[in-house]
Amino acid sequence: MVEKKLTPEEFRLKILEPAKKTDHICWTCKHLKPVIKGSKLPPADLIGWCKKLHWPFYWCIPENLVVKKCIGYERIG
Amino acid sequence: MREKVKPEIKFEEIPGPEELELEKMPYEEYCRKIFDPKKTFEKPEALKGIRWLSCTMYIFTPHSVSNLAELGAEVIKVEMPRAGDPMRHTSPFNEAYLYPLHDTRPFTGTGYGYFHANLNEYYISLDYHRPEAREIVYNLVRMSDGLTECYRPGTFHRWGIGYKQLCEINPRFIYVWGGGFGYGPKVFGGSYDILGQAQGGLASITGFHEDFGGHPVKHTNWVIDWYSGTMITVGVLAALYWRRKTGLGTMIEFSQVHCATRACGYGVPLYGRFGIVRQRWGNWDTQLCVHGIIRTGKSDYPNDPNPQLREEAKYVMVSAFQDEDFRELCYVIGRPDLWEKYKTHKERLKPEAQIEIYGALEQWASDKTRSEVVDILTDAGLLAMPVMNDKEVYECQHFRERGTIRWIEDPIFGDVLVHGGFSVGLLSETPRRVRWVWRPVGADNVRVYHELLGYPISQIKEWYDKGII
Amino acid sequence: MGVMDLTEIIWCKHCNTVNYLDPYTFWNWKGKVKCAGCDRVYYVHIIQGFYYEGPKEMPPGEPYDIMPLYADKPLEGYESYKPGTPGRTRPYLCLPREIYLGKADKVKFSIRGRPVRGWAPQPPSSGLAGSQGFKWDIEKLSPDVWKEYQVKLRKGEVREW
Repeated sequence: MVEKKLTPEEFRLKILEPAKKTDHICWTCKHLKPVIKGSKLPPADLIGWCKKLHWPFYWCIPENLVVKKCIGYERIG
Repeated sequence: MREKVKPEIKFEEIPGPEELELEKMPYEEYCRKIFDPKKTFEKPEALKGIRWLSCTMYIFTPHSVSNLAELGAEVIKVEMPRAGDPMRHTSPFNEAYLYPLHDTRPFTGTGYGYFHANLNEYYISLDYHRPEAREIVYNLVRMSDGLTECYRPGTFHRWGIGYKQLCEINPRFIYVWGGGFGYGPKVFGGSYDILGQAQGGLASITGFHEDFGGHPVKHTNWVIDWYSGTMITVGVLAALYWRRKTGLGTMIEFSQVHCATRACGYGVPLYGRFGIVRQRWGNWDTQLCVHGIIRTGKSDYPNDPNPQLREEAKYVMVSAFQDEDFRELCYVIGRPDLWEKYKTHKERLKPEAQIEIYGALEQWASDKTRSEVVDILTDAGLLAMPVMNDKEVYECQHFRERGTIRWIEDPIFGDVLVHGGFSVGLLSETPRRVRWVWRPVGADNVRVYHELLGYPISQIKEWYDKGII
Repeated sequence: MGVMDLTEIIWCKHCNTVNYLDPYTFWNWKGKVKCAGCDRVYYVHIIQGFYYEGPKEMPPGEPYDIMPLYADKPLEGYESYKPGTPGRTRPYLCLPREIYLGKADKVKFSIRGRPVRGWAPQPPSSGLAGSQGFKWDIEKLSPDVWKEYQVKLRKGEVREW
């Protein structure tokens, strides 16, 4: 059913497959909550939300937002 | 006999009645006197003289009218003949019924789900969409101050009894439509409470955070129904005041989903300013720490056969967010290191800190019962309260003495426990009251159609046989 | 991902029993579950509501972590194991109060011992078109309950709260 090579974290990422794949810096951050495939509600340019930066709020991250420096940034893995 | 010489008292020196009373009585005693629940029925009613029609179903719109009836308005509830409001049948299960529903249905009762949404009302039955019924509705409207209905938008308009038609019959008429979405892109959307909680944005911030496996949660009870019903009442009272000034009626168009948005608090405006969306934070608080609900190890009722008492009476609300309080809490639970680590409120508010602090609290409480935890923390001068269930609310002396819950002798259904609207505020001069909880379907048909509108008994009998009433 | 991966069921092909976990609690969970129909134990690892591993049959006699909440045999009609069947399913502790056992509980008295008109059928007492009076005369309309109430009064079982 599932290839056993995936680690649990990789499997989780596969389930929560994002709607887009871009080279935005936030994709490499572990606090990103991406818009997952099949979501209809969010605006088309959103790649997801940041769970960390404005806690207890989700900060909407549009694709064209250029992030140069971020205090909440933590690289995955 | 010599007349007794009365000492001369100057008028200015006589204390006025208010000062006299206030001087004599401490505040507590004063409140006990003016709000005494036992004196409720000796006092007048604020809305006496208002007659209202309630063409409503379920909880949301009926509750808006029930508020008026508790404050003294004469409310006529119109139901479908022989069937009644569907809420009568949407009750907790297993015989939680009060019989009878209607004379022709002796085996059917009205469920407890109907409670508190239809107090003090008069019950008639009428099938509005029969052409014969239109004249009856018009006659009722001529003698009434307002109407509340909950059908799909425009339904009453189509049946010839909408606001446009009724305000020509009675220009002072106040018309309330209450429903899901109202006019606009979602005009055909009906509503339930859960839909309101979901659509309004409330459910998305209720429940635990997704990082802890949480999902959006709705409240177990229909809170938005009760809340938005009360908000309609506020609109009605404003409309009544407006009518007093201008002599003109109003149409109130009330969409339930927007009430849930109001209950979201500052979330939506903050989105408008910063483009950020609020996260869930469950039983903890996003602005204060420690300020949440924790689970203790042992129940207060370890041997009770009821699992809700045996397994669930374990939760305690704890609040100690000021620095001194938090320090005290850390010493009480034997973790002074936490105080050393998180000395400022800003530090302990961080999610990582909250996870550690609440974890330590629950670990400390894991070998204690709920009441032990409450006692220890209260003795230390901290705020702690058990999470009470219905049984404990019933047994709470504070609620009993203030009349928030009370037993009444319903004229038809006997002994019933009510909490009514006493909880929204006690009015010293015109207290809210519950005379009866509800009456069977069509119980006041003769009273309203014959005694109020003057239709002959033979006519009523004919309508009844045809199924119009 | 099919539907079968999403729902947290374990279909034991040996005894044809479908074992149900409860979706929210097991959204992210790993452990061993005993089949309700037989003694086989299955290992599952669920991530975000999907099976990451399993259900994998374990060697017989393996200790298990949990039993299913509910199980049924869809191929054999409506046979099912309700929550709390000893040795088969675990008890559902969020069960409502113990009086809700599925049979009618016709109450004549409130918890403080005063009569309620809460049982069926009720004798028709009304006038025209379903009209009802305002006073229910318990002594006249329900003489048996009235008698029972008098006994309760004498025994002191009627309380203020």
